[in-house]
Order: sequence, then C-alpha cells, then structure tokens
Amino acid sequence: MPQTANPIFSDDWLGRAQTRVNADPEMQVIGTWFTTAFSLTCTDRRAEQRAIVRFERGRLVDIFPSPRLDVRCAFGFRAALEIWTKFFAANPEPLYHDFFAMLMRVPGFVLEGDTLVAMQNARALHRAMNVMRGVEP
Amino acid sequence: MPDLEPIIGRYLSVNVDEVNYRIYFEEAGEGIPLLCLHTAGADSRQFRHLLNDTEVTRRYRVIAFDMPYHGRSNPPDGWWLQKYLLTMKGYLALVRSVWLALGLERPVVMGGSMGGAIVLKLAAEYQRELHGIIGLESSAFAPGRYNDYLHHPAIHGSELVASYTFGLCAPSSPEASRRENWWYYSQSGPGVYAGDVHYYSLDWDGREDIKTIDTSVCKVSLLTGEYDYSCTPDMTRAVAAAIGGSRLVIMNGMGHFPMIENYPAFREFLRPELDFMATA
Repeated sequence: MPQTANPIFSDDWLGRAQTRVNADPEMQVIGTWFTTAFSLTCTDRRAEQRAIVRFERGRLVDIFPSPRLDVRCAFGFRAALEIWTKFFAANPEPLYHDFFAMLMRVPGFVLEGDTLVAMQNARALHRAMNVMRGVEP
Repeated sequence: MPDLEPIIGRYLSVNVDEVNYRIYFEEAGEGIPLLCLHTAGADSRQFRHLLNDTEVTRRYRVIAFDMPYHGRSNPPDGWWLQKYLLTMKGYLALVRSVWLALGLERPVVMGGSMGGAIVLKLAAEYQRELHGIIGLESSAFAPGRYNDYLHHPAIHGSELVASYTFGLCAPSSPEASRRENWWYYSQSGPGVYAGDVHYYSLDWDGREDIKTIDTSVCKVSLLTGEYDYSCTPDMTRAVAAAIGGSRLVIMNGMGHFPMIENYPAFREFLRPELDFMATA
C-alpha cells in the first residue's frame, strides 16, 4: 500500500515520540530489560502507514519509517486511523484508554507477531505506549 | 502518641468441605456487618480507605478478608500438590463460611469484580440470610479475561498481571492510587490471578441465578465504573435489568477498582447505597 500523510506515525510524530519516551524518568527505572523492536501500523481506506521502533535497554534508539523487509521486529500493533486517533486523544473515551482495553474490546486493534515477547515486556511496553499518548498529532 | 489507624487485623480459622483455612481479616466500626470481598489476584488492602472512613464505620462493622492464597491468608495444607483454580462452588462456600464463623447476622456483602460476581450468587442462594448485597463491577457472565500468559514460565507474572489490570482504572483516577493497586497486584503468588480469573471468566455464569433474587428480601445495589472494560457498564445494566427492584449506579470517571483507585469519588457514589442498605 502507498504511504499516507496522516499525522500519526509520521516521521515528525515518531521523532517527537522518541524524545518523549527517552525523557521519561519511569522508563529509566523499569526499562533495563526492554530491548526489542515492534511495529506500529495505521491503516485507513486508502493507505497504510507502518513504522518500526527499536528499543535498547529502555531507550528508543532507532526509528524505521516505511521499513524495508530486512528490518526485523518481534511484534506490532495494527489498527485503523480512527482507532489510533481515539487512543491518542487527550481524554480517551472508555475502551480506548489503554491498549489492553482495546485488545479486549476493540476488534480492529490487533497485536500481531510474537505476542509472547510483547507480554514479556508488558510493563515497559505499556509505559512506552502511554508516554507516546502525550505526543501531539 | 503514635498515629494509629482504627483498623484491627486478626486471623480466623474456618473449615470448608473438610479443608482448614487460616483467614486473615481486618475490621473497623460497629453496627450492620459489611463484609467486603476483594478483586481477583488482590487482597483486603483494597478496602483500607473504607475501613478508615468514620462516616461509614460509625454505623457499619466493616470487615474485609483475604481469600486463601491471597494477602496474609495462607493456601490450605497440600497446596503444592494442586493447581490453584477458584470455582464458583468453592468461592461461594468460603465466603459463607467466613460470615458464619464470625457470627455475622444478616450482613451486607460488598464485593468487587469477581467479588461483585459472587455476591450475585450469594443473593440468589442465601438471600434470607443477607441484609443486602452491593456489587461493584458486577456481571453475571464475564468471558474474555483468561489467557495462558497470566501464568507462564517465560513471563514475569507479577509485572504482567499488574500491568494487565492497571488500565482497568479510569485515567482520571489519582495516579498514586492507581499505582497502589498496581503494587497490590504485583504481589499475588504465581498463578493466583489466573486461578481467580478461571472462576470469573470461565466458571461463572449467573445469568439464570440472578432472576431468582427477591429484592424485597435482600437489597441489591450495583455500581460500575464508566471506564471498566472487564465488566462494562452494559454488562451491569444487564444484571440490573434481570433483578427487579435493584439499584444501578454507573460511576462516571471511575474504573474497575473504585474502593482503591479513587476512594473520595467512590464514597459519594457509595454513601446513598449504604443509606439504602441501612433503612428498615
């Protein structure tokens, strides 16, 4: 699919997410073993935007917008733009306020790939996603 | 003078189906017995604010106990030879045994989540022994919470369970309170949360039982948080619709753990229900 210009997971958005996550004092406490890469995929009717973010000991060290096939990741989150928009809202509505809530109650929100790796990193992953919530679109 | 809270903790021996249990409970206050049941994988510390609320304890004897395997209640002898899987039958018998052993006369039983489910069964089975029930996040059928990762050798169970349940709180609840509940959840033993969810999500189906509850005998109040995605407001609305004369409160800005995630807000929702329970 061609890339789209939606602001979620754009290069600019990802750069600001990286700054925000790496400045998080809690991640510096809990991220010691958070070394993995995962994808973030946003789809809409016309296009798909996919990026891979790679963490090294709790720091977001690499961002791969539009990754080539040789960029590996263990797992990823995939959802439509309208779902991601609700998740990243400043005051998220019920069922969209937490990725575990969406995994249980929002059918279009998908955890793909090796879910075991995702759950091994549940605490830091959960924190990272919540910190990214503070990134302005 | 030391700054002591009025809560008193003690141990109680109960026997259920020829099995002995050493049960830890805390209590405060005098009056109508209010027996409190914690959520899956947690313990009675969730009720510490209620136990310290003098407006409640001046007319209620508030009692909160730890289920076996939880908090300071040990597993029964031989626990290492059996997988912990809570069942509706065993849970029901244990709760009733506690109120009988304590000699509580027609208590109000208030439970959250899995406790909010079992109070429905208690009301169906023993309504003439009860003053009433207060169901926090009560559903008659709650599939979907169990997964094998909750007790898995490749996963840090404490961190997963605590993170898995953290988002059940409302985002607007005070961070320190949400984190406190995270900490409690991180302290359950291996497989205990999963064993509780076995009851809550796999063994429990009270959809027919709740139709037998007579609210002229046993009062029913149901309170569910707007942000609860385990027991959604619609799930509790279905319970309320099946129990004629029940009272339903959807708590805006609240999640799955009202008694601990945001007690100041919760007490405003709870107070009218306690008033209702106290009326003749």
